[in-house]
Amino acid sequence: MTLFDGYNASSFYDEMFDGSGEPRPHYRRLFEKLSQMSTSDYNSRCHLADLTLVNQGITFTVYGDEQGLEKPWPFDLMPRIVPAAEWDHIERGLRQRIMALNLFLHDIYHDQKILNDKIVPRDLIIGAAHYRREFVGANPPGGIYVHICGSDLIRDSDGTHYVLEDNLRCPSGVSYVLENRSILTRVLPNLFQQLPVQPVEYYTTQLLHNLRSLAPASRIEEPNVVLLTPGVYNSAFFEHSYLAQQLGVELVEGRDLFVEDNIVYMKTTRGPKRVDVIYRRVDDDFMDPLVFRSDSSLGVPGIINSYRAGNVALANSIGTGVADDKAVYAYLPQIIKYYLGEEMILQNVFTYLGSEPAQLDHILKNLDKLVVKATNESGGYGMLIGPQSTAETRAEFADKIKSNPRNYIAQPLISLSTAPAFVDDHFEPRHIDLRPFILTGKDGITIIPGGLTRVALRRGSYVVNSSQGGGSKDTWVLAAEPEPNDQKTSSAAVSTHSQLQNPSTQTQAVGAGSPGWSELAQ
Amino acid sequence: MLSRDADSCYWIGRYIERSEATARMVDVHYHAALETFLPSSLEDRYEDPESPLKWRSLLEISGNAEDFSSRYTRENDRDVLNYFCFDMQNSNSIASTWKFARENARSMREQIASEMWESVNITYLQLRDWNVDRLFLESPHEFFSMVKNASHLFQGILNRTMVMGETRDWLDLGRFSERADQTARLIDVKYHDLFPDRSDEADEADDIHTSGDPLDLHEWIAVLKSVSAFEMYRKTHNHGINPISIVDFLILNHSFPASVRHCTGRVNNCLHRISGSVVGTTFNEPERLVGRLLADLTYISPGEIISSGLHEFLEDVQSQWISIGSAIATTFLSY
Repeated sequence: MTLFDGYNASSFYDEMFDGSGEPRPHYRRLFEKLSQMSTSDYNSRCHLADLTLVNQGITFTVYGDEQGLEKPWPFDLMPRIVPAAEWDHIERGLRQRIMALNLFLHDIYHDQKILNDKIVPRDLIIGAAHYRREFVGANPPGGIYVHICGSDLIRDSDGTHYVLEDNLRCPSGVSYVLENRSILTRVLPNLFQQLPVQPVEYYTTQLLHNLRSLAPASRIEEPNVVLLTPGVYNSAFFEHSYLAQQLGVELVEGRDLFVEDNIVYMKTTRGPKRVDVIYRRVDDDFMDPLVFRSDSSLGVPGIINSYRAGNVALANSIGTGVADDKAVYAYLPQIIKYYLGEEMILQNVFTYLGSEPAQLDHILKNLDKLVVKATNESGGYGMLIGPQSTAETRAEFADKIKSNPRNYIAQPLISLSTAPAFVDDHFEPRHIDLRPFILTGKDGITIIPGGLTRVALRRGSYVVNSSQGGGSKDTWVLAAEPEPNDQKTSSAAVSTHSQLQNPSTQTQAVGAGSPGWSELAQ
Repeated sequence: MLSRDADSCYWIGRYIERSEATARMVDVHYHAALETFLPSSLEDRYEDPESPLKWRSLLEISGNAEDFSSRYTRENDRDVLNYFCFDMQNSNSIASTWKFARENARSMREQIASEMWESVNITYLQLRDWNVDRLFLESPHEFFSMVKNASHLFQGILNRTMVMGETRDWLDLGRFSERADQTARLIDVKYHDLFPDRSDEADEADDIHTSGDPLDLHEWIAVLKSVSAFEMYRKTHNHGINPISIVDFLILNHSFPASVRHCTGRVNNCLHRISGSVVGTTFNEPERLVGRLLADLTYISPGEIISSGLHEFLEDVQSQWISIGSAIATTFLSY
């Protein structure tokens, strides 16, 4: 019996198998390797990975769950593969979007040409919850608003990729991209052999480079970059801590910082030290009690003024949330056309706007077929999945929509593609999405190949958010079609290494390992 | 270094040292008491037949006697071991101290070596699999060894991986402050135990040069063992066990790792490395306070301590440590 026995992708687009049940070409080599593994062997690798995650404390926090505040990050070992040509298309599309979105943000906080030209309705922007009136006319360094973007891609049953949303505030997940890769290379090293998997670990190097370049001109030689976290109880704290470590910057909380004469300082054991660049993982609302929510204790009083004065840089900038509003998203084809003169490369999911009377009518009449979302929520909250809902919840939602139509959009239900995930002792199809991470710096746009593949581990579930029972996979973007017999370099490395070992110890080590281990080490 | 991170290091150092001190003391006390069922002493030493072991002094050392009696009715082995090892409401229990150490480490894990964080995390997770039933089912000694080893492992990784710098100095500062405090408390309570009502008598100085009865001797050996000082004491004071030499060794010895004098010296060195000032000069308030305490401990004789009252002396040392702690906080951490 092999791990893939009984795998049935049914009517969905499966990333690994085509309609006739054959592995797609870019998955073929992986399929062969995994077919040779026994269930118990694969199982033991899963345990090894779980142990690593638990021991290293790679966890996320579930709100409102007293007992297990920290949960180990659910990681499905089976990688998701994206062939080179497919990635090329995705990457071009993502570049186009982020360029347009940065231009759009600059425009709506300055001349508002796109509003004057009536391409995007003025009310939609000025009335958006995340539009920061306080920030009109401010000039972020290099004119960049979104330095770090995480866009969510899904694939419909016909194989087309759609962008579900662009997260422009504090997108998280990149630490899991890096950790998933690092764990997989340790527990299943042989899967990587003979496959040209593109590396991802230069992400933090590029990010640090970009952050340093944002420093005020007088401080550009040795800027002090910090990462601002809401603290250990934030759901993404692991990521904040991980990134600070990888970037080699201080991880600070609001209480570590203070502002004097419009300059931001951090409290150190040798007195105050000036801060030049802040990679902030605190939402706008909580950044500065003097400007935004006055009850926030997570932020730093005076920091926004310091930012406006150009004494400190923030990444991402203030007010970016207006552009990932789900109602603004619907206008992205027009926005791209307006600023870049291009057609949109990566498609949006068709979106009905509650703010347009005719479309509102359509939404209300078709609640049982559509997915309804609040425009300013994220993380899978405030959402109605029509086909899986009851008449009662639909009625509730209808009332909510009617009382504030601007706050809602609706989209057809996309049949998310599936990929094999390991459940109990075999592979079953589970719905997945993809969140690539896009960095924008003064010298251009960088996208690490792949991103975070999230997987809805509950059977039939479409919700991939980690707060709602989702897990993740390592994502492999292949550089080119794999070439056979490309094993020479790796076997040379092994033999050099073995010369450095005491021969008797080496024999013992092999003998002591489980049969599965030695089999795979070959 | 961020003040908040320095504060976390200081507390990681303290909590891990505290768990080790608790493990040592409870381990030694539990096993020493197994041998004290001398028929003649049974009546007057252990009034309460429900409390076969005398735990009161140990609860007092850790400053927990009141908290314990407010929640437990009997001072029996099971309840006391549960209290010291697993009771999460006791902020000094072994499980609590590792939880706090882990919380502090988690808030600054990017500053310390990953292996250090992992060792704290793994110990915390292991402790969650233990309870008092398993402790008695397997072996109390095995449990205490595990806790001591966890502390040593952390220390070993620290020594092997961390650069000689501020992070390390703050961890050491916490560790040695805690150890000085623990040793001072231990002697204070045990001395009081073994010489009740005698502190004002004129012939005290003579008494303390004699070895006392076998049970006293047994208890003094337990005191030494509970800071793992017995073997080193033997090598240093070859004329035998007597209270004045023990006071000399545990308070004033220059090089024994758990003596109050030694720990104070280590803290002094940490402070000077942090500020960059020369040892022997004072650059800030914590250095001045620690320097003064160190001078006292260096030049006083054990006889002077005893004749002016050991309890008063140790109380004074402990109150000086409290001043040092608050001077450190106002100088470095919360200005």
